[in-house]
Amino acid sequence: MAAMNPSSSAAAGQSMAWTCPFCCLLCDDLQVRMLAIPGALCLAGGECRDAAEALAAWGDAGAPLPELPARIGASAASIDDAVQAAAERLSRWRQPLFGGLGTDVAGARALYRLAARTGAICDHAAGRSLMHAVRALQDRGAFTTTLIELRSRADLIVCAGTAPDGALPGLWRRLGRDGPGPADRRIVYLHATPIHGTEATNIRQGADLLASLQMLAAAVQRPGDALLPALQGTPLAELATALRAARYAVFVWEAAALPDEPSDAGALVVETIHRIVNHLNLHTRAAMFGLGGADGAFAVNQTFTWLAGVPLRSRIAADVLQHDPWRFDAQRLIERGAVDGLLWISSFRADQPPPASDLPKIVLGPLAMAPAVEADAIFIPVATPGIDAPGHLFRTDSVVAVPLEPLFASELPGVDAVIARIHQAMK
Amino acid sequence: MSTLRIKGGRVFDPANGINGTVQDVAVRDGRIAAIDPRERVDEEIDASGCIVMAGGIDLHSHIGGGKVNLARLLLPELQRQQTLRSSAVELPSCGGCAPGTLATGYRYAEMGYTSAFEPAMVGANARQAHLEMGDVPILDHGAYVMLGNDELMLQWLAEGADPQQVRDYVGWTIHATKAIGVKVVNPAGISAFKFNQRKLDVDEPHVHWQITPRQVIAALARAVHELGLAHPLHIHASNLGAAGNIASTLATIAALDGLRGHLTHVQFHSYGSEGPKKFSSAALALAEAVNAHPNVSIDVGQILFGQTVTASGDTMRQHANAGYASPRKWVGADIEANAGCGVLPFRYREQSYVNALQWSIGLELFLLVNDPWRIVLTTDHPNGAPFTSYPHLIRLLMDKPFRDEQLARLHPEVAAQSALREIKRELTLSEIAIMTRAAPAKLLGLADRGQLGVGAAADVAVYREQADAEAMFSSPLLVLKDGEPVVRQGRVIATPVGGVHFAQVAFDSQIEDRIARATHDHPLGVHRRYAVIGHDELCACCNSGRLLPSAFEAQAL
Repeated sequence: MAAMNPSSSAAAGQSMAWTCPFCCLLCDDLQVRMLAIPGALCLAGGECRDAAEALAAWGDAGAPLPELPARIGASAASIDDAVQAAAERLSRWRQPLFGGLGTDVAGARALYRLAARTGAICDHAAGRSLMHAVRALQDRGAFTTTLIELRSRADLIVCAGTAPDGALPGLWRRLGRDGPGPADRRIVYLHATPIHGTEATNIRQGADLLASLQMLAAAVQRPGDALLPALQGTPLAELATALRAARYAVFVWEAAALPDEPSDAGALVVETIHRIVNHLNLHTRAAMFGLGGADGAFAVNQTFTWLAGVPLRSRIAADVLQHDPWRFDAQRLIERGAVDGLLWISSFRADQPPPASDLPKIVLGPLAMAPAVEADAIFIPVATPGIDAPGHLFRTDSVVAVPLEPLFASELPGVDAVIARIHQAMK
Repeated sequence: MSTLRIKGGRVFDPANGINGTVQDVAVRDGRIAAIDPRERVDEEIDASGCIVMAGGIDLHSHIGGGKVNLARLLLPELQRQQTLRSSAVELPSCGGCAPGTLATGYRYAEMGYTSAFEPAMVGANARQAHLEMGDVPILDHGAYVMLGNDELMLQWLAEGADPQQVRDYVGWTIHATKAIGVKVVNPAGISAFKFNQRKLDVDEPHVHWQITPRQVIAALARAVHELGLAHPLHIHASNLGAAGNIASTLATIAALDGLRGHLTHVQFHSYGSEGPKKFSSAALALAEAVNAHPNVSIDVGQILFGQTVTASGDTMRQHANAGYASPRKWVGADIEANAGCGVLPFRYREQSYVNALQWSIGLELFLLVNDPWRIVLTTDHPNGAPFTSYPHLIRLLMDKPFRDEQLARLHPEVAAQSALREIKRELTLSEIAIMTRAAPAKLLGLADRGQLGVGAAADVAVYREQADAEAMFSSPLLVLKDGEPVVRQGRVIATPVGGVHFAQVAFDSQIEDRIARATHDHPLGVHRRYAVIGHDELCACCNSGRLLPSAFEAQAL
């Protein structure tokens, strides 16, 4: 995607405003400084532990590109040659899998066209947690809220199975950033332990998160029911009373923290939260706020959904468009030998190479990923939106598409350009 | 340079006073041109036995933005049922009531439509709306940004803000989101629902801000007028879908106080509370009000029977109707102190009294409003029906015996009592051309679209003339988009990228600092340095489609 707002590159020692692409909050209020020696990027102000670590791992920003930055098997290669080899390799696969999918909207647009050309099955690296929420929505719907509503309105926040100060250190900062919310705000934790939080209550009443939520749903829906004597006077009953009294109760949950086993549990947690929220909305106001969608999961899922009409975990082919949140689980397809080649995309994370397998592979990732990529793969380095490329990602509430700008100019092509060139080379 | 001649068709070009005259339409380099009949052209199309119209323009169709994508996400069981027609130029994409953006472009073009406008862009979601519309091939597009439920405007109105401040705020919002118009949905009601208010009449105060929908409408209509926008304030009135809501709709017209307003999907707002079921047609009352108020234009939002999905910004009303969802699931959202949304699947049934009456009310409105330049053909896609049902709707309007046949199949009380039985009017091809081309172009200020005068953009549809209007409008012989053939024999043959229409308005730019201060440097959900979508970014969002700005000059009240 072309450059957007007037973009500039950071000069050594200078600070510049930065939107962080590394977690689902996409914080746009951060500052980055480029250190003169050794050319490393550093988070000025240090508001976010995770952003600081991600930047520090970036290494030598803006260093000249090696003459042969790509790889075809064990041999160093030019990007042009690697694109040509990738096109040849991809055209030999009868059932390709496009995995990882760590890219932005522009990358997703290009990938969709290539998938349609090759009949590829597409799943994100975080497909399993992404699908918990998608399946819950497909089965029962949802009532959601967004960051500013949460900040300005919520007087009772229930963190279900997640402690955001550990998982997403930016969240509480963002909630406090723009002035206080309701003075009487209360935060309650269900099956999660916050790092900081003296006033917080942590409730672990049921055997697990799902059990506690189901008990809570019963207590919310049928207060004082004689059938529920075991709940009377317990913390969950007290929480149910507080939920019914709240002006705007919000359940915060985190896709990555949902249970994967048994296979229904993750979606059931989300569905149970939705059931509670729906019931509360009959008389007061309530909503759910999911955390997730990092590494392009929401950007790619949104883009595929609008292009195709169905979300990820789909097979995109000229003759048929299939969507199945169970069948098209990338990991399982690989384990069962149901695909014969893997195109892996991870433009945000050098530490996320494709899962080890015997499959032939084409890998697109940051330059620093190269050593971790198996010797027989084709590796093509790509730029990272928000670091050395522009782009658009979707924030955790799936509403705001956040623009990203490069911190420095790069000779590396973006995922969109590489995929378009592979596609062109196949024609 | 390329030239093309459409030879010997009956031309319906109401904007230029042409009503079925047999004449040639010539195209040079994407524009309608005067080419000497003896001059050789690159391609000549024999259009004898055909009618020729400008490309269709849908001024109210939910084609892009968060809630449309939620509808796609919500309904895989319906999406899967839609079979694909593979072709050399089409990419795979589901059809049905919530088609993918790709299928949206293909299916619109296959009916001879060349532009569509998203009516409910959330300011905080504007980038997604433009990204999605950019992935609708072939069609030009644009969007109306929603205001009047954003806490900032409600707060300012509550504080008695100067109208100039409101005008500048509206102007800045149009500029930031690259909108072509302004829409208000359930004025103040979406915000009121966040404060747990469940109903809001036109003169009822918002429980927190203590201002009324009437004040919101008046303020926005004035701002739109003073900014000089071509498109009047686009209004989704209070109490959508509620029995007796005709009172709200008439009060909304009164609230305009003579300023221009476009009342949208009025079928959903023309209900009386008469009769044993306390639900009746108020189409006549609304049509009389429209006929009496030249400042008012409408689109209908016709319902047609079958499965669809309703996607609306009106969280308050969608929540109230959630029990009717079919299949039984729905999605709602409170959005960024700015808006809301509700997505609710729905099946309209012929044997339902209410649904049958809704069908009748929509058709009554089409046939009772006198001036076709102030009424636009829509189904409020997908809320009343998918846009793919337009050819069927056109036949209902043009063919009284066919209409009677359909009416006879409905709920017996509606079939026996509908005012439709006595309405003899059959719309003419010229009136259809106005309602689907010329009027929407005029209402949007698209001077070179919706007409076939020399110099106009060569968006052209050629249909084989036949008695069955549904068959005729389902499958054009030829469709040109900016002079390029995109459909032949009813099939898509090329998929150029469409352009994006947006308004350029004048406002005092100091308002930007004021907005930033009031939103802690985060207007519209993002840091202020990204609040405005620039031209380069808009172009990238829209897949490098052409930017089609219209400049408007401020005018005094």
